[in-house]
Amino acid sequence: MSDDIVFLAEFADGQAARSALELAAGAAELAGQSGGAPVALAYGAGARAGAAALGAAGAARVIVLGDDPAPAITFAARAAAAVQQAEPLGLLAPATPNGRDLAAALVGLLELPAFGPVRTARVEGGALRTEQATLQGTVITVSQPADGAPRPAVILVLANTFTPSDGGSGEAEVADAPAADAGAFGKAKVVESHPAEAAVTNLEEATVIVAGGRGVGSEEGFGPLHDLAAALGGAVGASRAAADAGWVPYQLQIGQTGKVVKPALYLSAGISGAIQHRVGMQSAEHVVAINKDPDAPIGEFADLFVVGDLFAIVPKLTEEIKRRKGT
Amino acid sequence: MKIVVCIKQVPATTAEKRYTADFRLDRAAAESVINPLDEYAIEQALRLVESGAVETVAYLSMGPEQAGEALRRALAMGGDEAYLVTDGALAGADEWATAKVLAAALDKLAPDVALMGMASDDARGSLVPGAVAALRGMPLLSYGSELTIHDGNARIRRLTATGYDLIEAPLPVVASVTDQVGEPRYASLKGIMAARKKPLETWALDDLGLSAGSLRGAALTQVVEAKPPEAKPPTERIENVSADEAAAKVADWLAARKLI
Repeated sequence: MSDDIVFLAEFADGQAARSALELAAGAAELAGQSGGAPVALAYGAGARAGAAALGAAGAARVIVLGDDPAPAITFAARAAAAVQQAEPLGLLAPATPNGRDLAAALVGLLELPAFGPVRTARVEGGALRTEQATLQGTVITVSQPADGAPRPAVILVLANTFTPSDGGSGEAEVADAPAADAGAFGKAKVVESHPAEAAVTNLEEATVIVAGGRGVGSEEGFGPLHDLAAALGGAVGASRAAADAGWVPYQLQIGQTGKVVKPALYLSAGISGAIQHRVGMQSAEHVVAINKDPDAPIGEFADLFVVGDLFAIVPKLTEEIKRRKGT
Repeated sequence: MKIVVCIKQVPATTAEKRYTADFRLDRAAAESVINPLDEYAIEQALRLVESGAVETVAYLSMGPEQAGEALRRALAMGGDEAYLVTDGALAGADEWATAKVLAAALDKLAPDVALMGMASDDARGSLVPGAVAALRGMPLLSYGSELTIHDGNARIRRLTATGYDLIEAPLPVVASVTDQVGEPRYASLKGIMAARKKPLETWALDDLGLSAGSLRGAALTQVVEAKPPEAKPPTERIENVSADEAAAKVADWLAARKLI
C-alpha cells in the first residue's frame, strides 16, 4: 500500500494529451497532501518516447502501459497489474470517452470505488475526499471511499480542473508495466479509422469557447463566431440543435451527449440554454451569453447576459477585441 | 440473436428532488422516467430487430419496485420481456455495486449483446458499461453512434476527437450507444396494451447468487455531505443599447476579468 497518486496519461501521435499534463499537476497536488508520489500510467502512440518528459509536468515516475494506438481499454489489464502491485491511494482519469473506458475497466477488474466527474478532490488526514455535482447540478455531494474499500479510488476529472505546471523535477523515472494479457478487451479492434473531414479543434482542451445554437441559423451564420473565437484565441462549439441541423460537425457539440467542457470563458450566441446543454458547460468559469430573447433560460445562469442580435454584436465585439489586443 | 438493454429509472429532469437523511435521493418522491439516454439504446435494439439482425429484445433494470414502471414503458416501445432486480440491500448502490448486479443478471440472461445508454442522466459517470464488460470478461464497444451485427461480430461507429472509427469485436459483447442512433420512438396505444401482457420477472439478490455481504453495503463509496450548489452572483445584464455599446461593455467585462 502506498500514498501515491497515479494518473492516466494518454498519448496520441507521439504527444502527451493536454489531459495528461493537467492530471500530472493534479496528481502532484494530491500527492503533496498525502505524502506520496505522483505516478503516470502512460499509453498510446509515442508513450514510451514521451514518458520521461512527463517529469517536467510533475510526474515522479512513469509506468508505460503500451505504445501502440490501440483503443485505450486494451491497456486495462496492464494498468490493473501496475496498480495492483502498488495499491496507490488514488487514480485520476480524464473524463473523456477513452479515459472513462479505461477507468471503468479498472473499476470492474479490481472492484474499486469510483467518483466523478469531480469538481474538486483533496487528501485530508490521509483520506481522499471528492466533491461532485449530481442530478443536473441541483446538488453537490462530498464523497469518500468507504472504510476498507480496495485501493486506488478511481476519480474522473474534467478538462481544465487542474492547470498544467512546468515546475516538475525534469526527467521522470520510466518503467514498463508488468506484462498482462489484454484478454477480452483486446478483441475489440479498430477496423477503419476516418480522420476529420475538416479541421476540428479538440473542444475539451480549449480554454475559451465561442458556442452557437439554433439562433445562428445556418452554417454561414457560424462565420462571425469563428472570427470571434480566433480573436479570443479559442475554439468554436455548438448546441445539439446546431449539430443536428448539420451547421457544424458533431465533434463540436457541447452538452449532455456531446462534450463536457470547463473553459475559463464560455461565450454563447443564439443558445437558449436547455438543461441538456447546461450540463455540458455549467462548470465553465465565466459564462457570457448573447441572445435576442430576454427570457432565454441561459440568462438565468450566465454571468453576463447580453440581450440583442448576435449578428450585430458578435462582429463588433471581434473588432473591439482585436483593437484592444492591438492585432 | 438476443439483446438485453439495461435501463435505469431516473428522476425527471424537471422533477423536484428531495433527499433522505443519509443523503440519498428520495426516489419515491420524485417523478420518474426512463433515463433519456437509455431510450436511444432501446431504439437501437428495436431497429436491429426490424433489420432482421436480432430476434429477441429483453430489458433489465436494477432499482426499487417502482422501476417496474420504466420496464413497462420500455416494453410499450417494443421488445419481448423484462427483468427487474430489486432488493432492499441495494439502496444507495454505487457504480461498482450496480455493475456487479447487472453483470450477474446478464450472466443469467446470456445475451449476444448487453446494450446500455452512454450515461445516466443523474450521475453521469459512464462507468457501468466498462465495469460490466470487465466483470463478465467481454469486449466493450462504447459510445457507438450506430451498432450493427453481422457474421458473429458487433460493430460500432464511434466519434473520435476529430473524426470517427469503426470498431468491431466478436460476440458476445457489452456495448453502449449515444443519442446519434436516432430519435427514440413513442409507445403507441397498441404498444401500451401489448406491454401489459409481456412477461416481467422480478429477481432478488439471492436469485443471482449474490448476497448483501458480497456487495459490501452496496457501495465502496460513501457520501458524507450533500449540499445545495453555491448561490451564483446575480446575472449582469446588458440590454437596450446599440451593438457598438454592447460590444464595448462586453470587452470591458472580459478585460476586468483578464480574459482578454
